[in-house]
Amino acid sequence: MRAHRGIALALGLPWLLTFGLFWAFPMVYSLFMGFTDHQLLAKSFQWVGLDNYRALFRDPDFVSSLKNTFVFVLGTIPFTTVLSLAMALLVNRQFRGRGLFRAGYFLPSITSLVVISLIFTNLYSRGGYVALLAHVIGLTPPENGFLYDSGTALYAIMAMDVWMAVGYYMLIFLAGLKAIPEELYEAAEINGASPLRQFVSITLPMLRPVTLFIVVINSIKSFQIFTEMFVMTKGKFDTATTVYFIYDTGLTTQFKFGYASAAAYALFAIIGLFSLAQFILFRRRQEYSW
Amino acid sequence: MVRPVSLPANALRYSLLGGLLVVMVFPLVWMFRVAFLQPGDSLSFGSLFGGGFTFGNFADLFVQTNMGRYLFNSALVGILVTLGNLVFCFMTGYTLARYRTLTNKALFVTVILILMIPAHVTIIPLYVLCVKARLFDSYGALILPWLVNPIGIFLVKQYVESVPPAMEEAARVDGAGEFRILFAVVMPVCRPALAVLAIQIFFTNWNSFFFPYILTSREELRTLPVGLALFQGHQAVDWQHLMAGSALAVLPVLALFILLQRRIVSGITAGAIKQ
Repeated sequence: MRAHRGIALALGLPWLLTFGLFWAFPMVYSLFMGFTDHQLLAKSFQWVGLDNYRALFRDPDFVSSLKNTFVFVLGTIPFTTVLSLAMALLVNRQFRGRGLFRAGYFLPSITSLVVISLIFTNLYSRGGYVALLAHVIGLTPPENGFLYDSGTALYAIMAMDVWMAVGYYMLIFLAGLKAIPEELYEAAEINGASPLRQFVSITLPMLRPVTLFIVVINSIKSFQIFTEMFVMTKGKFDTATTVYFIYDTGLTTQFKFGYASAAAYALFAIIGLFSLAQFILFRRRQEYSW
Repeated sequence: MVRPVSLPANALRYSLLGGLLVVMVFPLVWMFRVAFLQPGDSLSFGSLFGGGFTFGNFADLFVQTNMGRYLFNSALVGILVTLGNLVFCFMTGYTLARYRTLTNKALFVTVILILMIPAHVTIIPLYVLCVKARLFDSYGALILPWLVNPIGIFLVKQYVESVPPAMEEAARVDGAGEFRILFAVVMPVCRPALAVLAIQIFFTNWNSFFFPYILTSREELRTLPVGLALFQGHQAVDWQHLMAGSALAVLPVLALFILLQRRIVSGITAGAIKQ
């Protein structure tokens, strides 16, 4: 195949150029920028070493953005995972109208995030549908609606996120369920295992790789939420997440490129560690289960 | 194996399924309902069933606001990005599947790398780069960085590996050139994978907000999501028109989804299983 090496390179060239220019170069440049005091209008900038990183962890805005991000990730992932699995089990069996229910549940996940955020801004507003629902079950909704209240805003956005994501992960769980060999269940049936026993001893262990995939992908996504906060609260009422902080310090009034880049890399490192921890955790559990 | 299900169990199942369906689609139903309300109508509980009905909000959007322009931008960028991905992901995926050279390994590593990088790490330098290269505030910034993507490359690579190389050999023996083989022989065979890719890219791009918002500032370049996100805040929120604009953003996706449901579902599940 040596004769074709030139062709191989030519075919890969558009990808190499796009990747190099718009992704690899910014990645490296961003790492470098994080060690400088680069700003938009400054003619020159200086190497400041780890100063940005030290300043970040003393910056109350950054620390609270990290806290909000962690509340968001840790608060949504368990709900999304358990609910989407439950929904997958519910629509896995053969029954009339199955396709309709699957499609309906999946619909929110292909809808634009901006549109969903706008709809929920309305639903969460003062006198909106959710406030009405709260009244019906005997709760008192916040006076100015759920989004203009530091006590509820972040949780309201989290609930919306779970609602939006479950349909997508339901589909992935469905694919995982389909991949489990039917014979396992037949054998369990013959041995008199109850449906609950079958679920715990066959379904859950067999779904472990899919679950890991879902948890990792979903947390990486959740660590990067921004649009919801931008559209619904503009980062106010204790909803500013880390990407919002990066946007705010780097690309709005302040244009502190160096500082914002350092924040981006700090987030990158946190996401990396978090994903690694999930891999290790799931692998451990796998060893003990057999 | 279908087990007989008792009537009460069935009733319970369907009420659970139905209740869930209401929760999942209600916000979208509400959006469409508000889009058709008269501008003066109140958005009370009752307006879901009663109240006015008009197409006027949609007409207003095109006459009084730039929503028509945003729609055009979204369509243009969406189509060009999708076409670019079809051609370039196909080329790169094919190379990865067929030629196992050193450059290939480098390509493969970059593909893996980009899958792991959170996109937001690159926003500041990407912004600076686009400003310096005079791409900022141009269609280039909306299109060029997204012309190829690693998921698409993977999808094509997996698919091409299932296509027998004998097909290309036969074409080669018949004297066809390499590029002709690529685009006239192999590409048509890969149609199922490319269809899945096209749908996913179009949806993602059509709905994307963050980068189009960061990399443009002129109103003429706003895509539909950007236009919608920045539509509110001038005066009090005008829900009727905002929801009409939102409906415009949802309709193409909804139509494609109804038409291509099976492909979309199989594409997503295939992607997940491969991981």
